[in-house]
Amino acid sequence: MKVKRYIALSVCILYSVFCTLYATERTILIGPKTIGKAWKDNIVLEARHFADAKVGDVLTVYNDHAKRTAQGAFQNPTNWQGIAPEYAYFGINGPFRMTLTDDILAVAREHGIAIGGHDYRITQVTLSEASDYQETIVWRGPSVMMKNDWSVNAEIPGKAFVHLREGDAIRFHISKAQAGAAMKLSDMTWNVLDPSVDGVPVGGDAYTWYIYDQALQLKLQLAGNTMNTAMRVGGKGYCLDKIGLVQFVGEVSEDYSEAQRAPKEYILQPGEIFHGEKLFPNDWSGNLRISAAPFQKCTENDVLIISYTLDPTAKAAGVTPQLSLREGRNWSEITGAPEPIYYPLDGNDVVYMFDAVALDQVKTRGFILTGVGFTLTKIEILSAQ
Amino acid sequence: MRNTILLFSMLFLSVSCTAQNTPDPEPTTVPYTLCNPNATAETQQLWGVLCAQYGEKSLSGVVANIDWNTREAENVYQWTGQYPALNVFDFINIHASKDVNQQGWLDYSDMTPVTEWYNAGGIVGCMWHWQVPANNGTNMTCSPGTEPGETSFDASKINDPTSDAYRRMVKDIDQVAGYLKKMQKLGIPVIWRPLHEAAGNSTEFAGGKAWFWWGAQGPEVYKQLWRFMYDRLVNYHKLNNLIWVWTSQINDDEWYPGADVVDVVGRDNYYALQYPLAKEYKTLKTTYPDKLIALAECGNGDDVDMSLWSDIWAEGSRWSWFMTWYDYHYNAGTSDEHQFAGEAWWQNAIGSGLVLTREDVKRLMK
Repeated sequence: MKVKRYIALSVCILYSVFCTLYATERTILIGPKTIGKAWKDNIVLEARHFADAKVGDVLTVYNDHAKRTAQGAFQNPTNWQGIAPEYAYFGINGPFRMTLTDDILAVAREHGIAIGGHDYRITQVTLSEASDYQETIVWRGPSVMMKNDWSVNAEIPGKAFVHLREGDAIRFHISKAQAGAAMKLSDMTWNVLDPSVDGVPVGGDAYTWYIYDQALQLKLQLAGNTMNTAMRVGGKGYCLDKIGLVQFVGEVSEDYSEAQRAPKEYILQPGEIFHGEKLFPNDWSGNLRISAAPFQKCTENDVLIISYTLDPTAKAAGVTPQLSLREGRNWSEITGAPEPIYYPLDGNDVVYMFDAVALDQVKTRGFILTGVGFTLTKIEILSAQ
Repeated sequence: MRNTILLFSMLFLSVSCTAQNTPDPEPTTVPYTLCNPNATAETQQLWGVLCAQYGEKSLSGVVANIDWNTREAENVYQWTGQYPALNVFDFINIHASKDVNQQGWLDYSDMTPVTEWYNAGGIVGCMWHWQVPANNGTNMTCSPGTEPGETSFDASKINDPTSDAYRRMVKDIDQVAGYLKKMQKLGIPVIWRPLHEAAGNSTEFAGGKAWFWWGAQGPEVYKQLWRFMYDRLVNYHKLNNLIWVWTSQINDDEWYPGADVVDVVGRDNYYALQYPLAKEYKTLKTTYPDKLIALAECGNGDDVDMSLWSDIWAEGSRWSWFMTWYDYHYNAGTSDEHQFAGEAWWQNAIGSGLVLTREDVKRLMK
C-alpha cells in the first residue's frame, strides 16, 4: 500500500514537473537581432526547438524599436517565402505571434522557421502551448462574407469587449478565405483602429490581433457594455464567422539553457561597413550584399580589410575556407576578371586594395561577399589619405 | 502690353537658350528648342527659364501625394520655409474622377490645386500612371502580366482602330487632354511626363522586363504609342502648353521616341547615390546632347539612402530638375520619417544654394 502511494506520488510529481516544464512559455531565442530596412535581415530559429512542439502551439516574437511602418514575416528558410500566405508580411505593433499548424510544423521540424521583415528589433522569441491561452467567444455572427470590393463590414457591439485587457488578443475566426484575402479593422467612426490591421493579409481559419497597449483597449471599450458599434470588421475575400477574446493563462519559464543566441551586433564605427557575426556555411549558401553607399568618397588605393574567424566544422566537412568578392548586380568578379577569384582563408585578415575597375564597381553598385567555412566579423575601409 | 513683353522675352530666350557653365564634357553652345513650334508663350517662357538655369542650378520638385494635390510641397515648406519650384500631379486615378465617375473620390476637372500652385509661382508638372482594367475585371493597374491583379492589355492595339483596346486608349488620352486643355486655357504650361520607365529593367540585365503595360510589347510598339499620344495631344487637341519628358532607363536608346517628339530626357533613380547618378547623367548628356536632362524621380531606395544634394552636385551631376517621391504613410501620419526624402535631405538641398525654389522661379518668370 505504501509502495502504491509512493508510485502515485511520484507519478503526480513527474506529471506536475513535466506539465510545468511544458505548459510554460519558454524562450527559444535571445536577441537582440536587428531586422533592418528593405527586408534584408532575418534570423532562422533552429529546427531543434520544434522537435517537441505540437499543432496549436504559439510562437511569440517580442520586439522593440519598431518603426510605425515596420512589418514582420514568418518564412520558410528553404525558399524565403511566407511560411503560410497570411504570414508573408504583416504590420507590427507590439509582440507578434503565429499558431503552429500541421504544415508549418512540418517545415519547422525539418528546416526551422525564419523571422524577417523590416524596421524592428527582435528581443526574444518564445514558444508556448495552446492551453496557455484561454479563448472566450464574444461574437457569434451571423457570418459576414467580405466582398472583393471592400464594401462589406461587420459591426461588432461594445459589449463584446467589456472584459478585454491590455495584452489580450482578439481572434477572428474566418472561413472561405480566398487568395489575396485581407482584413481591415475600423472604429465606430470608420477610422483605422491600428495600422497593422489596415488591409492585413488573412488566411487559414483565423486571424489574431494582439492588444499591445492600453490605448487600443480603451478605443474598443469606448462604446461601453452596449450594442453600440465598437469595431467594424471589413476587408475582402473571406467570411467572418465569430470573434473570440484570448487571454494568456500560462506561466513564463526563466530557463534559458536551451535558447538559441542571436549573432552579436555592434554599432558601426567610422570606417566600418560590417561588424557582427555572419556565418558563411560550408554549402556556399552564405552571402552578404554591401551597397555602394559607403564607397561614394573612396579613391583608388583605398583598402578593404575583411576580418573573420574560421568555422571549425569546415575541416571535418572537407571544405577549404575561402571567400570571393563579386560585382553587386550579376555576381561577376569585382576586378572585372572573367573568372571569379577565390581568396583562401588562413586565419589572417583579407586585405583588398581597389584598382580603378573595382573602385568603379563598388561605387556604382557595391559588392557581394560570398564564401565558405568562416564567420565574418568585420569589414572596414582604410583610406589611403 | 504684358503679352508684348512676354513675346519679346520668348523670342529672346528661344534664340539665346543655351547651356551655360555646364561641367565637362558638356558642349556649351547647344541650343535647346521645344519640339512643338506652336508652343504657347507661357510654355516658351518656362522653357527659357529651364534652359537658362540648366547647368547653373537645379529646380527642386516633388510629386503629389498619389494624385491631385500639393501635399508633399507643404512638407518641404514645413521643413525648410520654402516651397519647391515644381509640383507634379499624377493622372493615376482618372477613372475615379468625379467628372466621369459618379462614385469617384477626386475631381481632376477641378483645377483648384493646379491654379493655386501656379498662381503662387510654382511650376506645374503632370505624369501619368496610366491604369487600365486588370485581368480580374475589377481592379485597375499599370502592371503587365497574366495574374488576376495584372493586365494583359495590349499596347500594340494602338495600331488597330477597330479594337476595344484602341478605343480605350483614345478615350483615356482624350480624358487627360481635357484636363490639360483646361490648364492651357488658364495659361498654365505643363511639364508633361507620360509613359515613363517604359523599358523597365529589360535593358539592365538578362531576364529583365518592362514593369508597365506600355512597355510590355517592346520598344517599337512603345514608340508608336508615344507618337500616337503626341499626335493626339498636340495636333488633334491642339495642346501647345506641354514640355514633353521622356524617361530613360539607361542604355535604352532603342526606346527613345525621337528628338522631334521629346524635349527633355528624364531619369528615375532610387539608387540615388552621387557616383552612379553622375555616371548616368553623363551617359544621358552624351547620348542626348540636344536635350535637357532631368532627375525625373528620386528618393531613398530599398538599399541606400539618397546622397545629399550638395554631394550629388559636387560629383558633377547637373540635372535640370529633381523630383522626390511621396510617402503615403508619412502624409497619413502613420510614419514618423519620410521614406524617400525627409527633412534633413531637403534642408541640405535648399540650404546648398544649388537649387531653385518656388520663390526663385517666381522671380525668374517675371
